[in-house]
Amino acid sequence: MKTFEERFTAWVDGQLTGSALAEFEKELAAHPEAAAERAEARKLGDLLRAQPAPPMGNEDFFHHQLMQRLAAETPRAAAPARARGWFWSLPRLVLAGAACLALAGGLFTALIPAGRPPGAPSDYYAEVLDLRPGDPSISASTLSNPEDNVTVVWLDGLDYIPASYALK
Amino acid sequence: MRLPAALLLLALAVRTLAAESDPAPAGKSASAATPPRAVARTDKIWSAVLLATKPPNPQADPAALAEFVPRLKRIFGYTQYEIIGATTETIDEKSESWLVPSRNFWLQVKSRPIASKDARGAYHLTLQFYQDNRPILATEAQLAPGSPLFIRGPQHGAGQVIIVLQVQR
Repeated sequence: MKTFEERFTAWVDGQLTGSALAEFEKELAAHPEAAAERAEARKLGDLLRAQPAPPMGNEDFFHHQLMQRLAAETPRAAAPARARGWFWSLPRLVLAGAACLALAGGLFTALIPAGRPPGAPSDYYAEVLDLRPGDPSISASTLSNPEDNVTVVWLDGLDYIPASYALK
Repeated sequence: MRLPAALLLLALAVRTLAAESDPAPAGKSASAATPPRAVARTDKIWSAVLLATKPPNPQADPAALAEFVPRLKRIFGYTQYEIIGATTETIDEKSESWLVPSRNFWLQVKSRPIASKDARGAYHLTLQFYQDNRPILATEAQLAPGSPLFIRGPQHGAGQVIIVLQVQR
């Protein structure tokens, strides 16, 4: 509920309309001097508006001082703004952590192929520990393919056997 | 502060109890502490000499190679695999064995079981691979049942000789 002074100011400025205006004008019946005050206030306003604005020497400094004073005089209004500006509040940190965990879980599920649980015995057990070719012309290497569950000893440099030679 | 300290003490106590109940440490030491498994006389080693080729009309795969052919095809790329010879010997850890799957290729094998429980009944094999009395390769390998060893042998015509070894249970 606005005070009488607030409504009076609004009435002088012509901002009261409708039922608010009608109700306030009823109240003004007890204040016969109100009409004269409004006329003087409007006259003063018109006079001030008619005057040219005095030149301001250092506008930036003036605005700076004004903003500092406003900030100092309205601490309650500034505090919520500062709180809104601080992104890493505790609830947001919790939310960010949960989102990271969900993202990591999703990536793990999508990118890491599902395999044998840790500690379960593997189907694959084959390992070549040592290779010693019987001839310097022979080279030997090992290939392991756990997915295929197979190990291969690859020999190169062996004598070619012609197709006419029947293997027995 | 009291709750984290209590949890830490509880974790230490549980770990101490667990260590006392399992005297064998993890890893290789645990394997060494496990008593050697008695050799099951049913364990065998199967060996075969194959000729892999790429004929225009490949024949049906031999039944004995059913479990190997998909892997052989992926690794060597041939389309037909023919068994030149195959043999199965009971694994004897006390003496050397001769695997003679064919007249041209044979192997001398010395085997001993691997004691680790993680080895799934694998054997440590000392192999000597021969081609017509000529030693081609000496190797030490560990093989478990179901994990075969393929040896890529010499070229034969347009094909390839492949030796397959597998421990069987």
